[in-house]
Formats: sequence, structure tokens, C-alpha cells
Amino acid sequence: MTITTGTPLTLDAHASRVWVRRFARTTPGLVVAIGVVVAASCVIAGAVSAAALNMRIAEQRAVLDHSEPFAYAAQNLYAASSAADAAAATAFLSGGNQTPLMRARYQQALAAAASALADATAGAPDAGTRKSLAQVSAQLATYTGLVEAARANNVHGFPIGSAYLREASSSMQTELLPGAENIYSADLARVDEAQRRVGSLPKIGLALLVFTLAAIVVGSAVMLRRTNRRFNLGLVAAGVITVLAIVGIVGGVRLAASDIERGRTEGTATFGQLAEARILAQQARTDETLQLITRGDITASEKSYFGHIDDLLARIGTASPVATEAVQKWVASHRKQVNAYRTGDYPAAVDQALGTDAGASGAQFAVVETSLRDAIEQSRATMRGYVSDAGRYLSWMPIATLVLMTLAATVAVVGLWPRLREFL
Amino acid sequence: MSTRAMAVLLGIALGMTGCGASPTPPASVSVAPAPVRPAGAQEITDPPKAADTGCVDPEASLRPGPQPTPGAMPPGSTMSRIQERGRLIVGVDQNTFMFGYRDPASGQLEGFDIDLAREIARRIFGDPNRIDLQVVEANQRESALQSGQVDLVVRTYSITCERKQTVDFSTTYYYANQKILARKGSKIHSAADLSGKRVCAVSGTTSLNRVFDLNPRPTLIGVTAWTDCLLMMQQGQVDAISTDDVVLKGLARQDPGVDVVGGSLGIEPYGIGVKKGSDDLVRFVNGALDDIRSDGTWERLYDRWLSSLGPSPGPPQPKYRDTP
Repeated sequence: MTITTGTPLTLDAHASRVWVRRFARTTPGLVVAIGVVVAASCVIAGAVSAAALNMRIAEQRAVLDHSEPFAYAAQNLYAASSAADAAAATAFLSGGNQTPLMRARYQQALAAAASALADATAGAPDAGTRKSLAQVSAQLATYTGLVEAARANNVHGFPIGSAYLREASSSMQTELLPGAENIYSADLARVDEAQRRVGSLPKIGLALLVFTLAAIVVGSAVMLRRTNRRFNLGLVAAGVITVLAIVGIVGGVRLAASDIERGRTEGTATFGQLAEARILAQQARTDETLQLITRGDITASEKSYFGHIDDLLARIGTASPVATEAVQKWVASHRKQVNAYRTGDYPAAVDQALGTDAGASGAQFAVVETSLRDAIEQSRATMRGYVSDAGRYLSWMPIATLVLMTLAATVAVVGLWPRLREFL
Repeated sequence: MSTRAMAVLLGIALGMTGCGASPTPPASVSVAPAPVRPAGAQEITDPPKAADTGCVDPEASLRPGPQPTPGAMPPGSTMSRIQERGRLIVGVDQNTFMFGYRDPASGQLEGFDIDLAREIARRIFGDPNRIDLQVVEANQRESALQSGQVDLVVRTYSITCERKQTVDFSTTYYYANQKILARKGSKIHSAADLSGKRVCAVSGTTSLNRVFDLNPRPTLIGVTAWTDCLLMMQQGQVDAISTDDVVLKGLARQDPGVDVVGGSLGIEPYGIGVKKGSDDLVRFVNGALDDIRSDGTWERLYDRWLSSLGPSPGPPQPKYRDTP
């Protein structure tokens, strides 16, 4: 069956292939072949380049709409959880007369953590991240339970209250915060990666455009030899348009890339440094509060406090002079607290740590926290501004490339048509 | 034949549509419950410390000489250095109800041990408030004394031969009995019932050593504070706690669902820890304790802090090793 039906088809195909080969060796055949190859590669190269550029625009929008806000939410989740721990320790240290303000600060931090958790979960890119977020969520619920158990026991005057608080803080510092930090660093790395992709050249598209240009050059040379006339104007125009498209794409993407690069160095990198600084400030605050709750040998916690402060100052660098100054005042206040503690004046040490007047650690820590938050917001705005600018360069490019290359195909065909008509 | 073929085809068709109709749903997230555990809690599997070195009578301490009047410590003595500093630095506990704990309402450290430390300060300065209370964990008591971080340790500190190799002790100021704390209705009534159970104790205490030596040995969890043990019991992580009855009573007052059970696993004589070699300070503290026993201060402190343990057994008689 198959053999009987197949043989005539094979013969037909063979015959037509022979005909095409013979036709191509004739001049009109050559003109048609050049026209078809040049026009097709113009259209294909244009379409592929446009698609690649479109992908960069989509990526740039995704940075602005998804990955950057997600990283921001993850950073907030980390900072708010850490703030809740510092606030819970402060409230506990203030004893039975837990002021409504201290309670409110703890609740505010919890609400901020819950909001950040919702934002971060909505933007989670994969199942692994969602799982990490679920773990943070479960740990946060457990943490608040322990803090409330501490408070309830505290109300009865039971020393087990401080055991609950220490367990809560320990679970926060060893389980929740490292988890949140991993989510946040992975997000920031993703934002960075996405930015790199936005600023990268569309390699396949450019290769196809160069191939098109080569086809046009070869076609022109063949036409020049076969027809003994001047350069075919249509092909020359198509070549010029193709060169224009290549220059436009390379130039536009390079401009976008330079904006992206400035966004990365002035925005993302600063954002990362400041976010780390914020966490370090929270950890130093927890150090100085817990050392008063633990009320023992403070050598280890002092080492930890000053380690966190040194890292903190290094991270801030020159990004926020206000924060740097507040950190220095905070350290001065902390030294007073430690002096009071070492001379046995515990109540004065607690006052120095919790106080809200300008000279006390509590007030200076609040200034550090606020100024860092502002600086983070600013670096975030800088980064988003540059990414958005990069988008402006890219936005016209897909359609322009498509139009240019369609035009190139058209002028090539229009330019070749008179040569073909001579034989009709 | 054709009906069977039809049935097979139908089966295949149904099977195929079945596969198509229930595609695997996207993986939903599932996480384990968040673990909770007090910082520093760990199972103890290695013997805590070398066996006792067999001193004759660990409780025998140095006999006091003539007691100097407050505010006039003999020049060159350890006490006069404390007097010059202006404060007596004492290592205490902040988590043991009745003996040494931080009153959450006032934020102050209070308890039998704290008041006893204040009485010593009164006998150096004439003022019980010339005192700097520093919290030391159970397993830091020896190192805190050796490094000079504190002058004295008054912290439910059992006198043992082993500890006497690194620190000196005053005479005994209280006798405690090691017992067991368990949930009411938990079928744990004595040390024999602990087999196969999880038992909690603070690392570096004689209580932990005694539980470790039980035969068969229960699963032993070491923590940093006795309240951590109660917390683990409330969270269902341990079945019982074993230590001195006074500490257990203090824990039981914080949770109506637990009670002290069983007979004594051993007697614990509490003494005040002093840096090794400070014989003048040991004699001075012993003199102060003699005062406290004889002038009714001991009974007053018992009534204030320990009356819930039952009627006062009276202060323990001091034992002295009579060397000049």
C-alpha cells in the first residue's frame, strides 16, 4: 500500500526540486531568491528582536510591580518581627507597670509584621518561598503565644514569666529571624538578577539582524555581478535600515542598562546595606534590653552589642548622616547605662535604657530606627526611579524595530521588482 | 467476542477520560509546627562531673573569731576592701520563687537568699542596701567566685566535697531535701516511677547529678533555670522535675496542676559560697550567720519567705572543723 502511493509523490517532489534548481540558476530566479531570503530574514529578525525587547519590558515591569515590592515586604517582615521582639523585651523589662505606649509599640510591630507577611506571601515566586513564609507565619503565631504567656504569668507575679519571654526571644532570634532573613536575601538577589536581564543585549535578535545584513550585502554583490548595473537601491536602503535597527537596539539597551546599573549601585545596593543596618540596630537594642532582663555577667552581651554597632555603622556608611549621629548618641547613652549597671545602680540603668527623653537609649534608638527607615524608603525610590527610566528607553523599541524591519523587507522587494519585471 | 472487545475499549476510554478529569492539583504548602524549646535546653548523656572526692564532712567550716562591728572592718582584710568599695557584690538567682527571684511588679530581686545577703551587708556596712545583686546561673557559681566577679554566692548553693575543691563555704544555713515535681494524676509518685520518663534539672546542680545516677536512668534534660523546667513541663516536653523541695514548692506555687511527690532523694545543705582562700571572709560570714541564727533574724526570714513549707524547723546547727 504505502509503496504504491509513495512512488508517484517522490517522483513529483524530485521533479519540482529539479525545476526549482534550474529556475534559480536563471537571472529572474536569482532575483526572486534574493528577494525572498532578504525579505524573510528582515521580517524574522525584526519579529525575534521585538519579542526579545518585549520580554525585557515585561521583566522591567515585573521588577517594579512584583519582585521589588516583594523584597521590600520581606525586608519589612524581618524588621517588624525584630522590632516586635525588642518591644516585647522592653515592655517586659518595664515590669508590672507596662505602659499602654509600650504595649501599643509591640502591637504596632506585630501588625506591621502581619501586613508584610501578607504582601510577601502574595508576591512569593515559588513553592519553596511560600513554604518559608508559612514557617515564619507559624513561628510568629507561636512567638506571640509565648509572649502572652509571659505577660499572664508576669501579672500573677510568677518568675516563670521571664522563662516564657526568654523562650520567645530565643525562638525569634534562632528560628524566625534567620528564616525571614533568608527570604529577604533571596528576594533581593532575584531583583538584582531581574535588573541584569533588563539591561542585557538581545543576542539572538542581534545575530539575526547581522545575518540579514550579510544576506543583503551578498545579494547586492550577486546582483551587481549578474546585472552589470549599479547597486540595487532597494537593497542598499534595506541595508541602511537594518544598520539603523541594530544601532538603535544596541544604543537603547545600553542607555537602559546604564540607568539600571545606577539603580543597582545607588538603589538596590544601598537598600540592602540599610536593611541590614536596620536589623543590626534591632539586634543591638535586643542585646542591651536582654542584658538587663538576664541581669548577670554582661561581658558577652556587651561584646555582642558593640559587634552589632560596629557592623551597623559600617553598613550605614555615608548613606544617612542623621542615623550615624543618632547611633553615636545611642552608644554614649548605652555607656552610661553600663556604668550605672556596673556600679550596681540597676534602676538607673533601666531608666537609661528605657527612657524616652533625648539623652536616653530608648529615644536615640527610635531616631536610628526612623532615620534608617527613611533612608531605606529613599534608596527604594531611587532604585524604582532608575528602573522606571530604563523602561522609558525600552518602551518604543519593540514596535520601532518591527516597523523598521518590515520597511526594510518592503524596500528590498520594491527595489528588486523592476529587475524581475524586465523578464516578464 | 465483540461485546468483550467493546467493554475493553470502553474501559480504556473511561480510564483515559478519568486521567484527564483529575489533573494533579498544584502542590499546597505544608509546614511542621514551629518548634519551641528554652534556649540552652539539651539532653544530658555524659556524666555531669567526676564522682565525689570523699572529704570527711563537707559541712564543717571555719570557726568565727571576734566579730568586727559594722563599718569598722579590720584593715587589710577582705571585708575592709569590700567596705572601701562601698558595696557587697553578691551572686544570686532571679528565677527561684521564695529564695531568689525578680518580683515582676517591682522589678526588684527578692527572696530568702536575697534577704540573707542583705543581712551580711548590714553586718559589714550597717546598711542592708549597700549591696549589688548580680544574677549568676547555677553552672557559673564557681567561676563567678574564682574570677572575683562577686564576693559571695547566696543562691540555693549546696555544700559538696567536689565544690569545696574550688570554692569555700560558710556553715549550713538551710537543709533542703531533693524531691520530685510531677503533674497531678501523672502516676509519678517516687523516684522508681521516673524510669523511661523525661526528667528536667538545671545543668551544674547536685540535683542533676543525683537524677543522672538513678538506676535505671531516666531521659535527663538539662536547662539553665528552674523556671525553664516548669515551662517545659507546661509545654509537655518533660514529665517531671527533680530538685530541692524548696525550689519545687516555689515552682508548684506558679502552677496549680503540679505537686511535689515522693520521699527525699537526698539532703542538700545550703551554704554561702566564698572565694577559695578568703578565710577571713569565711569566718566573718560564719559569725554573721551565728548572729542571724541566735538573734531571731533566721526565724523572721523563714516566716517571711518559707512559711508555706510548714512550721519552721529552726535554724541548722553550725558545724566547725576545729583548726586554729
